[in-house]
Amino acid sequence: MMEFAWIIPLFPLLSFLLLIVYGKKWGSAAPYIGMLLTFASFIVSLLVLVARFENPTYKAEATWLTIGDATLTAGFEVNQLNALMLVIVSLVSFLVHMYSKGYMQGDERISVFYSYLGLFTFAMLGLVLSPNLLQTYIFWELVGVGSFLLIGFYFYKEEAKAAAKKAFIMTRIGDVALFIGMILLFWQVGSFEYDEIFASVSAGTISSEMITLTAILIFIGAVGKSGQFPLHSWLPDAMEGPTPVSALIHAATMVAAGVYLVATMFPVFAASEAALMTVAIVGAFTAIFAASIGLVQKDIKRVLAYSTVSQLGFMMLALGSAGYVAGVFHLTTHAFFKALLFLAAGSVIHAVHTQDIEKMGGLWKKLRLTGPLFLIGTLAISGVPLLSGFFSKDEILVATWVHGHTILFLLAIIAAFMTAFYMFRLFFLVFGGEARGDTNHVKESPNVMTVPMWVLAFLAIFAGYINTPWFGSFLGDWLTDGNAALGHGHIEGPIWIMGLATAVSLLGIALAWLIYSRKSLSRDWLSSRAPYAYQLVNKKYYIDEFYHFTVVKAASILSRVARLFEVIIVEGLIKLITAFITGLSKLGSRMQDGQVQTYGTVAFLGLAVLVIVLALTGGYL
Amino acid sequence: MTFPYLLTLIVFSPLLGILVLAFTPKTKESAIKLIGVLATIPALILTLYLYIAFQLGAKLSDFAEKVSWMQFANPEVFNSVYSVNYELRADGFSILMLVLTALLSTLAAIASIHIKKEWKGYFILFLLLQIGMFGVFAAGNLILFFIFFEITLIPTFFLIGKWGYAEKEKAALSFLIYNGIGSAILLIVIMFLFAKIGTTNIEALMSILSNKAILSESTKMTLLIALIIAFGVKLPIFPLHSWMVRVHVEAPPSIVMLHAGILLKIGAYGLIKFGIGFFPEQFQSLATWIAILGVINLLYGAFLALIQTDFKKVLAYSSISHMGIVLIGLGAINSAGVQGAIFQVVSHGLLAALLFWLVSIFYQRYETTKLAELGGMARAMPVTAGFLLVGALGSLGLPGMSGFIAEFMSFLGLFKSMPILAAVGCLGIILTAVYLLRAVLSITFGEGKTTNKVKDMETIEKIPAVILVCLIVAIGVYPDLIASGLTNTIETIVIGLGG
Repeated sequence: MMEFAWIIPLFPLLSFLLLIVYGKKWGSAAPYIGMLLTFASFIVSLLVLVARFENPTYKAEATWLTIGDATLTAGFEVNQLNALMLVIVSLVSFLVHMYSKGYMQGDERISVFYSYLGLFTFAMLGLVLSPNLLQTYIFWELVGVGSFLLIGFYFYKEEAKAAAKKAFIMTRIGDVALFIGMILLFWQVGSFEYDEIFASVSAGTISSEMITLTAILIFIGAVGKSGQFPLHSWLPDAMEGPTPVSALIHAATMVAAGVYLVATMFPVFAASEAALMTVAIVGAFTAIFAASIGLVQKDIKRVLAYSTVSQLGFMMLALGSAGYVAGVFHLTTHAFFKALLFLAAGSVIHAVHTQDIEKMGGLWKKLRLTGPLFLIGTLAISGVPLLSGFFSKDEILVATWVHGHTILFLLAIIAAFMTAFYMFRLFFLVFGGEARGDTNHVKESPNVMTVPMWVLAFLAIFAGYINTPWFGSFLGDWLTDGNAALGHGHIEGPIWIMGLATAVSLLGIALAWLIYSRKSLSRDWLSSRAPYAYQLVNKKYYIDEFYHFTVVKAASILSRVARLFEVIIVEGLIKLITAFITGLSKLGSRMQDGQVQTYGTVAFLGLAVLVIVLALTGGYL
Repeated sequence: MTFPYLLTLIVFSPLLGILVLAFTPKTKESAIKLIGVLATIPALILTLYLYIAFQLGAKLSDFAEKVSWMQFANPEVFNSVYSVNYELRADGFSILMLVLTALLSTLAAIASIHIKKEWKGYFILFLLLQIGMFGVFAAGNLILFFIFFEITLIPTFFLIGKWGYAEKEKAALSFLIYNGIGSAILLIVIMFLFAKIGTTNIEALMSILSNKAILSESTKMTLLIALIIAFGVKLPIFPLHSWMVRVHVEAPPSIVMLHAGILLKIGAYGLIKFGIGFFPEQFQSLATWIAILGVINLLYGAFLALIQTDFKKVLAYSSISHMGIVLIGLGAINSAGVQGAIFQVVSHGLLAALLFWLVSIFYQRYETTKLAELGGMARAMPVTAGFLLVGALGSLGLPGMSGFIAEFMSFLGLFKSMPILAAVGCLGIILTAVYLLRAVLSITFGEGKTTNKVKDMETIEKIPAVILVCLIVAIGVYPDLIASGLTNTIETIVIGLGG
């Protein structure tokens, strides 16, 4: 079965091509084409995953480009990690395709929407299948375009335009670092193939400085894509895209690509303690940094966006603490519960036509299905025991502790507390209490939207059981099977970590309940006591403003300098040349003034010069 | 497999069209336009035949032609006779350029439907220009090269000066002055070589000049610098570029398609063929400077593109920036870099043609290319807006399209020889994305600003765009498509460079 894995990305590609060409003609049939083809992808992915359980890694390649002596190849590979990713991506993509049928109902550009979804899914699946760094980079950029197109789907909105541009450019900054890292690695190894890179790294043919440098450059690429600090600020803005897109791209799949890349390149990172440390610090810092911003956001999607940034930070922290399995595990569970949360949020927005949580409230009674679904997602992400997020977050905390990062461990615990708090703040403000907006017309979403959410809810609850300290670490054992560089399937940690994690998440929930449901504590109790801190967090630490006054300003100053140079020097040069030539021709025309004496002088002088030249050279220069 | 005089047929096939046009009344607009387009078809078929024959393994020597043309100097006084032959020949690179020229000529002829006046004169000059371009790439010696090179200048001058926009005369004049100076320098170099060595045959010169005894080191260096200036005007290399911005802005878009697509590339062709071909060792010692100039071109063009308010100017500076990639690839002096430079020549040709065709399409409807006056085009003209976005994405080096391959290989090459400089140059990759998205999104996205009732692209207008996009994607997805034909050429160049 695995030899047919290449067909998986082709279904959504076909969907993209068909819909971009015939979409207008087919109109309302577009969603069905998209759904059918991604479903086909999902089925094949599932078969490939099953096949991978029994067979070794499969890899096929062909020549793609010859450069001098080097031959670059293109192909595909099925290993444990990407077999798992294939299923996650195709499943979430299929569910989002289905959900969008209801969510985007009535939009006249629905076929365009589905074609973009197809393009994105194609690129994401292609990324996952890539057997070498160059091919990964190619699809890496293509998912960026898919994301760009979908963020800018409502192209006539200025905010959407700005957000799409920002997403593309900020991720590209990371991509360039990845590009450099990839090329440097190529000149060290002589190949882009993962196998050969890992072989060179373990054989020690690359200097340790070079490994650290390339690993960090590649990590910067991951920082851009996964919205890690300091390249995170595009991700919340990306919420301008339609909500199903946020669920698919900016929660479950594309933003996880950075984590996936670090996981794929793990043997390189593992060879450099400095690189691992960088990953861990950036991850932990992002986790707590984004969580703190999430505490005060008023837009339902932005809270979820900052939560995504924060959770991706957790994954990076895991990888940076040598917790390969923990990172991948959390990537998996997060894909399910975060997609669920976004789809549920979409269902709320679909019902109340606002994203402002101040205008919601009391929706538990109105949205009988969405409410419980959202609650399941909230419980899972908060790390409440027995749901998937609980197990994966626990793995991360254990990995961090065991690796000896005490400070980072503390940061992660605080971030976990904040997560529980802001998620339940969100839940109580949206669903609890009395309605603050007009809720007369609020209707539950149609089945086509709720069914995908139920599937995700099921996974958000039970996906954790593939890797638990109690029933065996099936996922971990399988992922690390036959590859010592990836570490152990399960890291044994002290039992109190689980207790502490449970305690902080319950504490967070309790505090949110006291403030936003019981209202025993005033909402602005804290913010009124620390107004500056509140302002700082509310303004997202002024990161965008900082970029505006540094990077953007610097670029525009440089542009102006260049223009000054262009106007004065370069244009001056052309004026000089023109003036010189005109002057010369004026001189020539002045000679022809009708005076025979002048003509005679010129003719004589010319003849004299010619004679001298002839005499000196013998006629041949 | 091949037949005699194939190259001659290609070069002079547009003459047939000129002949027919000469007998067509100048008021018959649609007939003239049809003839104009049809006249480019024979060359297209012939060059494709040439390309396929070459790919199937035809020997390059089978294409070469040689007829004795003129001789001078008295054999009784001098021991050598100066003979100039009419000789044409082709290699992998020039075959590629011939195909590109034929293809873009056909597409630009189709694009000429937007020309509004004096179609007869326009198409006669257009076909004459085509002969010049073919000749440049097929010429077997420097004299012929120079003659064809000059043939391209004159029709271009009139095409800009007569059918262009508001400041067309000024643009045509600076075009002529700069290129005139460039070709004067080129002529000096050619004459010097002819006088000193006694032949202008390109292959003969390559082998003779590789002999160290011929010409002193400093003479060679002077000649190389002269060549770099002569072709640098054409490419253009910073700071010799200001004429080219004017031409991009003022010339009719169909001519800019050819200008940006082919004529600028003669600069790159000359640099590779003669600069590196004749003086590989000297080129190598200048490599760092070439690469630095490349990075300057790349960044300078990008920074200026960032603040332009007219879309045509954005594209003009973007061309300058993209030609920096060619220099970066050449400065790398290894096979990856040289291959990247050649790919960039082809890729930018296709992308520039696509973008200027789209400019022509929306100028036709909105009568402006000012960014501030445009906006929201995606609503009224979704197909055009889509193509524009594709063009921009291709231009900013999105993988899956030709621009990426060129950029990737050039930087791959430069990172091997000068990693720090290459890292600085990578800034250009970010800037390119910034200025192209800024410009294109302000045209296509946002609220509509114009009230003009416009129709989206007509079928005939879609033809060039679709063909170009298909080629751009084909090269991007499977670059070996053209890379395989270039292996020998690049090998020759790189061996000349000593490794």
